[in-house]
Amino acid sequence: MRSDVLPAEAPKHAPLSLRLRLIDIGQELLPFVVGVAIWQALSSLNIWPPVLFPSPLQVFWSFVADIKSGALPKALSVSLVSLAYGFLIGAAIALPLGYLMGLNRASRNFFDPLVNLLQAIPGLAWIPFAILWFGLGQGAVIFIIVMSVFFPVLHNLLTGIRLVQPVLVEASQTLGASRWAIIVHVIFPSTLPNLMTGIRLGIAFGFRSLVGGEMIASTDGIGYQIFNAQQYFQSARIVVGMLAIGIVWLLLDRLVLRPIETHTTMRWGLMREGIENT
Amino acid sequence: MIATADILSARGISKSHLDSRSGHQVEALRDVSVNVGHHEFVSVIGPSGCGKSTFLRVVAGLDRPSAGEIIVAGKRVSRPGADRGMVFQEYALLPWKTTQKNIEFGPLLKGMAKAERAEIARRFIALVGLTGAEHKYPHQLSGGMRQRAAVARALANNPAILLMDEPFAAVDAMTRQRLQEELAAISATERTTVLFVTHAIEEAVFLSDRVVVLSGKPGRVVADIRIDLERPRRWDQLTRQGRFADYCAELTRHLSGTPS
Repeated sequence: MRSDVLPAEAPKHAPLSLRLRLIDIGQELLPFVVGVAIWQALSSLNIWPPVLFPSPLQVFWSFVADIKSGALPKALSVSLVSLAYGFLIGAAIALPLGYLMGLNRASRNFFDPLVNLLQAIPGLAWIPFAILWFGLGQGAVIFIIVMSVFFPVLHNLLTGIRLVQPVLVEASQTLGASRWAIIVHVIFPSTLPNLMTGIRLGIAFGFRSLVGGEMIASTDGIGYQIFNAQQYFQSARIVVGMLAIGIVWLLLDRLVLRPIETHTTMRWGLMREGIENT
Repeated sequence: MIATADILSARGISKSHLDSRSGHQVEALRDVSVNVGHHEFVSVIGPSGCGKSTFLRVVAGLDRPSAGEIIVAGKRVSRPGADRGMVFQEYALLPWKTTQKNIEFGPLLKGMAKAERAEIARRFIALVGLTGAEHKYPHQLSGGMRQRAAVARALANNPAILLMDEPFAAVDAMTRQRLQEELAAISATERTTVLFVTHAIEEAVFLSDRVVVLSGKPGRVVADIRIDLERPRRWDQLTRQGRFADYCAELTRHLSGTPS
């Protein structure tokens, strides 16, 4: 009997989930709408000339022009390629070294002082050597990004290894796990929350060095475009470059990093959105 | 092979460790010998700090004894191994594995095929009453369900002896009684050999064929008492029996006679 009724009722429920989705999207957009409104209000007051404080509308048109000319997509793609190489190389060195240091006392004792010494040196401080070794261009930029990504990834991974619960290792040992099985089934998943933090910070530091590196050591990319726009007093274009970086980061976070966390650390109960529900 | 009729033979186990604050050697266990026969359920009780958990960890191979040896199924052991399954008070389930994957973990480590592993997991999930929770993660389970999963995980690996370290100390009283009855029933039907550590006298009497009493600091064996109560055991029946109370009283006397 119930099954006769259900199909007739079903369409009534569909708009509800759609409404919820719209509320979700609204919540997501609200901070940006408020931010732009304040920005617009401030620039309408005409306290500062547009060259010092471009309005949202000027930035929007500059954005459209940069897309049409192809300058923005090209700069962005150059930058993202540099970032991708820099991140992958940095992480490819940091991950094995991190697990080695975390799991082996001798290598930890050896590498720890070196890592600590180099950690304090900002990625941008490597620019002079980057230029000497790789010349002006993408190679130098990638090198600087590697130096910036490496440390946060390594540091957070080491923290993650230190936080592995000994009882989980012991339980696996009593089930007959070899050292390698413990690394794969216990240590690696255990370190994921911290590793994700390291990856986030790594990419964030990478972006910083990317922009700085391109301003000084390159003639291409989004950082160079920002630098170049400043030379010509194209304030709106500077903002376009800055926002482009922010938007790329936002997309990376929503489309790659968060889904990974939702399917791993959040699902396993190792991490939550917040603590308001406890 | 060392000839022995017992599954477990712990001989003359002593254990001292350096206290990092005082710098003195602390003696946790002195010459503790415990044998566990085939299909026997033996509990070790003692005041807190008597080294009973340390003793179990030495048997498991997680701690090294200062003296003595552990013989399991005729073989001398010094490292952790699948022949000694262990259930911890804090469950120790892997948070990133579902109930089923946790239970399949031991068989997976042995290189067993997927279908065979799933079959074993199904059997033990049913045995501990977790059917329906196969695909839940540990954080989605109650304390009692987590400990059921941990017991199933240990049993699914088919150990020669099951070591249990105060496994029911962290669950509420009602759940604890139910888990104790379930464990008594499972160990009887599965003919499991169990070495169980607890500080609860009633729990030890309820579950065991034999109870070994350790004195406090350093832990030494002061009594080894056979519990002659018929099985299956149920709380509502046992607590009315005078013999159950007698055993508890006897153990209490042994425990109170020891400094803690």
